[in-house]
Amino acid sequence: MTIFKEMFIANVKELIRDRDGLFWLLAFPVIFIFIFGIVFSGTDESTFNIGIVTQSENIMIKQMIEGISDIQTFNVTQGTEEDELQALERGDRSLVLMVPDIDFNKVSQGQPIEIPVYYDASQSTTNQVLLPVIGQIFSQMEDMITGQVRIFEIQPQPMQTKELTDFDYILPGILAMSLMQLGLFGSLQFMNLREQKIIRGLGVTPLPRSTILSSEILLRVIVSLVQTFIIVAIGKLVFGVTIVGNILVLCGIVILGALTFTALGYMLIAFSKTSEAGRGIIQVVQFPMMFLSGTFFPITMMPKYIQPVVKAIPLTYLGDALRHVMVGATASYNLLTDLGILTAWLVVTLVLAIRFWKWE
Amino acid sequence: MNSIEVSGLKKYYGSVKAVDGISFQVKVGNIFGMLGPNGAGKSTTIETLVGLNKRTGGEIRVLDLDPGKEFDRLKPQIGVQLQNPSLFPRLTVREIVRLFASLYPDPLSIEEVISLVGLESKEKVQTKALSGGQRHRLAIALAMVSNGSVIFLDEPTTGLDPQARRHLWDVILLLKSRGVTVFLTTHYMDEAEKLCDDLVIIDQGKIIAQGSPKDLINQYFVERAIEFVDPGFTEEERNGINDLQIASRVIFENEESHIILYTDDIARSLTSLMDYAGGLSKPIADVIVRQATLEDVFLKLTGRGIRE
Ligand SMILES: Nc1ncnc2c1ncn2[C@@H]1O[C@H](COP(=O)(O)OP(=O)(O)O)[C@@H](O)[C@H]1O
Ligand SMILES: [Mg+2]
Repeated sequence: MTIFKEMFIANVKELIRDRDGLFWLLAFPVIFIFIFGIVFSGTDESTFNIGIVTQSENIMIKQMIEGISDIQTFNVTQGTEEDELQALERGDRSLVLMVPDIDFNKVSQGQPIEIPVYYDASQSTTNQVLLPVIGQIFSQMEDMITGQVRIFEIQPQPMQTKELTDFDYILPGILAMSLMQLGLFGSLQFMNLREQKIIRGLGVTPLPRSTILSSEILLRVIVSLVQTFIIVAIGKLVFGVTIVGNILVLCGIVILGALTFTALGYMLIAFSKTSEAGRGIIQVVQFPMMFLSGTFFPITMMPKYIQPVVKAIPLTYLGDALRHVMVGATASYNLLTDLGILTAWLVVTLVLAIRFWKWE
Repeated sequence: MNSIEVSGLKKYYGSVKAVDGISFQVKVGNIFGMLGPNGAGKSTTIETLVGLNKRTGGEIRVLDLDPGKEFDRLKPQIGVQLQNPSLFPRLTVREIVRLFASLYPDPLSIEEVISLVGLESKEKVQTKALSGGQRHRLAIALAMVSNGSVIFLDEPTTGLDPQARRHLWDVILLLKSRGVTVFLTTHYMDEAEKLCDDLVIIDQGKIIAQGSPKDLINQYFVERAIEFVDPGFTEEERNGINDLQIASRVIFENEESHIILYTDDIARSLTSLMDYAGGLSKPIADVIVRQATLEDVFLKLTGRGIRE
């Protein structure tokens, strides 16, 4: 235990005395958050204008529309198809729902009722927030019609209790990205230890190699938590972001994310001979991941064949999991799905890293 | 009793036979030297003895353990200074000694080893700011802090100034006086002569002579050496010296353009030599007649200077 402590202290000192490295470690998320903060708080949207087009007199549809209108963040207008779609084109609507009459014949035959939803695909907020919320509302309605169990009721979700800005949705993405960068590039330090033959030099001492590795990983996790603190603090103090979820859950997800990307980093460097090559591979991996994770560009804007890639990469799920705890129910996947897929990535990359890593 | 026993040790890197079947024993409490030119296989031997390298063949016991298999039990009992020490660049001298001390069950005191290698004034300096010689001394301190019963030193005095070298010799002798076994490599003859109880001379992965420094000199040299600066002999004239039959061996050291003759009849050899050179109108100046040294042993055995 004292060996671990001494080794950990040595790693900490190496890190904090590398002024340049430390500067970038702390400055990167700060720069990032300000760039995106300024860009996205410009289009501050505290309410969404929702257009609903329907001829239905059905009581359930009426209740549903009422329910949607009750949501504070939503500003609902009803109108003709033509008017509403024009309003959408002008940017006066975030989204237009075409609600048909409920055809109970169709329902009894098990056929779906199609509800076209029109929206501006270039609006990332709409994609990330509105569509999942609308989806939830309809799935509740569906339960009510088919299951006949529940009374028509819309569960107020955490995000609906406060006014959210675009930046609220972007913040978890920034955090996810920082964690990715930190994990991936942080692994290079381990490569440096090998390249500078420090690991080899320690090889003549009784120090177990696993201690060199585990103390290094612990350090990365702690740095991740520090970065999280910086990002959340700036988000809160400067951009007035509210964190909905439990801070401990948030830390848990941050640690899982940091470990996953550190393991991915270790796997990538395990296949490279020099740290220059390692840096190259990491850049090749992290750059597309940044754009394909749906953090800054809506996934729906991307070509169909890209979608499977989007669904495979860990950054998508880390961002989604963080969105769960930080802004509430605006995420695309179930939290357990997010955590499960991240854990799977962690395990697989770790196994591969251990299998292919060469200590010398 | 032996601290180290090596028999038939081989280490090949592909087709390079870095160590090619060497055998020797190191007695407990002795200073054992491995003397040889660059590339002879000294570092490879040390790295194999301390479990950093896997051997290609042969048997090794260090403190009755096999470094290839039982390194976990061996490592707490030995201290090692590698030839090119790599240190955490941003830790200070004191911090890194402290780190290493924490790795061993019964380390020496941090202050003691720092003062033994004379780095007290550099205690708070980060290792990346140390000079080559200071890094070297720090590496030796790290080997010593282990308080191991065998200390391995790979060219401990290379790159040190003469004063620091003398000081380090004293430190090595101090270790010996405390009962520590020291295995060191060097390419300095005087160092081997001064420090070592036992010695092997290694060249191209093979041991070419072994014994105590005195033994080696007595065994290979009842003769003396006549050494002089080449007055500009041609190839043919050089060969002419051999034809004079006045020396058991003639060495042409091209680097310093010295010529060395080994002989047991100094007077006859000197006279003939002077006559020969005079006859060619290339008179010889700066002649030294001296006792043979280990360097001569090496020269005689290989025909090459050790620092080549
Ligand atoms: N890792 C290696 N791979 C290939 N050849 C090596 C390696 N290490 C040493 N050698 C070769 O083995 C020989 C002995 O090297 P070394 O043990 O370092 O010699 P010394 O320490 O006596 O100068 C040299 O020819 C060197 O080039
Ligand atoms: Mg060497």
